[in-house]
Amino acid sequence: MPTADLALPWKSQETQAAMTQPVDDLDLIRRLQAGDDDAVRDLYAQYGQRLYAYALRLTNDPATAEDITQNTLVTAWRTARTFRGEGRLIAWLLGIVHHTAMKAIRNSTNYLDDVAEETISEDQPSPEEQAQVKDERRWVRQGIQSLSSEHRAVLELVFYQELSLNEAAQVLNIPVGTVKSRLSYARNHLRGVLARTEER
Amino acid sequence: MNHEEQLIRYAANQLSENERAEFEQHLANCADCQTDLLLWKSVADEIHASNATVPAPVHLADSALEAIHAPSKLTRAFKSMTQLLRMQLLLIHNELWVGSAALMFIFLAMALLVARVEVLHFFVPIVAAGTVTLIYGSEHDPAAELTFATPISPWKILLARLTLVSAYNVFLALCATVGLLLILPPQALGELILGWLAPMTFLSALALLLSLWIGTSNALFISYTLWAAQYLALTSVGEWFAFLAPWLESYRQFWNDPALLFIFGFALVLFALWSAGREQVQWRRTIAL
Repeated sequence: MPTADLALPWKSQETQAAMTQPVDDLDLIRRLQAGDDDAVRDLYAQYGQRLYAYALRLTNDPATAEDITQNTLVTAWRTARTFRGEGRLIAWLLGIVHHTAMKAIRNSTNYLDDVAEETISEDQPSPEEQAQVKDERRWVRQGIQSLSSEHRAVLELVFYQELSLNEAAQVLNIPVGTVKSRLSYARNHLRGVLARTEER
Repeated sequence: MNHEEQLIRYAANQLSENERAEFEQHLANCADCQTDLLLWKSVADEIHASNATVPAPVHLADSALEAIHAPSKLTRAFKSMTQLLRMQLLLIHNELWVGSAALMFIFLAMALLVARVEVLHFFVPIVAAGTVTLIYGSEHDPAAELTFATPISPWKILLARLTLVSAYNVFLALCATVGLLLILPPQALGELILGWLAPMTFLSALALLLSLWIGTSNALFISYTLWAAQYLALTSVGEWFAFLAPWLESYRQFWNDPALLFIFGFALVLFALWSAGREQVQWRRTIAL
């Protein structure tokens, strides 16, 4: 969670107190629906880091991720009434992030993710780096980054956002079977990366 | 549920206590699952670690609130539109407002005197077309140079002035029409309005376009001639021109067909707006010379 809003001078004492405790989702959504400005701040304090992390994972670009996160908060505020409480609030929010990110990616002519992926494929380790390549963290990072954004999205939703496979499917707006097949693909891909790393 | 899925849920801490215990029994005897578990754990660790290095910016909630409370696009567009209209209102010659009102009053008086609606039907489009030829271009705009130097596109300036003058013309014509009710029953109001509105639209659009292309006086001459031509009585010219009669009849029908007049009128306005941008280019060239 970000420590962003810890000391905002204009906040009332009640709000500050409320923010030190986990905010109740139902209460949060009710306040959003009622048009309470502080609900947006609390929502961000509660889920901002997760939303931003997901946006960044999809776009690989901090500036775009910021825009997406901000637009997600605006959309959440404007469409709070459509949230029926059928799923978890975080899954609904991540769905908005995903939708917003996909729109941003479609609209941008030079999609940064491709640039990033190209950079990674060109980024063959230098002799000095070769020794470090076997470092576990490094091969996993390279492996994840060399996956397409849709596969990275599934990994992020399941392993970081702690969504169930069904929730991940809802966020991505795909069948749960596709979520499973993307996970299998990611596993095989990472196994391949690992095998290549060990050969070196 | 197969082991692959359970393994993922196990690695992601999503199994219940019972499921967990059950799966751990399987895990103890399955080398494949153990290898994959290590892989998924590394993935989870890496994702958590990399996300921890990129804290979300602190200002996003406040910038979102700013965006939420910012005036909508529609409000902003409306504001800039009224501002443009107010600005252009100051740049249109004052004589134009007084002159067309006076003319309209005279023609209404004439119509009432001779008790004929046709007088108004004839003169309303003439007054309207006359005024729109005077709204744009270096010939009439005392601040043309400044106008062209503003960042507002010329077509927007033209549209703003056209809107103001046309709205004024329609208002005057409506007043005159109401005046006509002194000699006509109120039921005739709709037909009376349609009688001048469509020809007025087309003739004004034509005059505006021509004024942009060939100057005000030429535009007035051509459009007034075209307007008056429908009132030609061929019999007075003689039998020699009788062959023109069917053409003239079609020509008259055109001026009496509101739908056609509106469609052509709007097309001409669009064309004129497009021309406004071109005129600016020419004007810039003149300045450069």
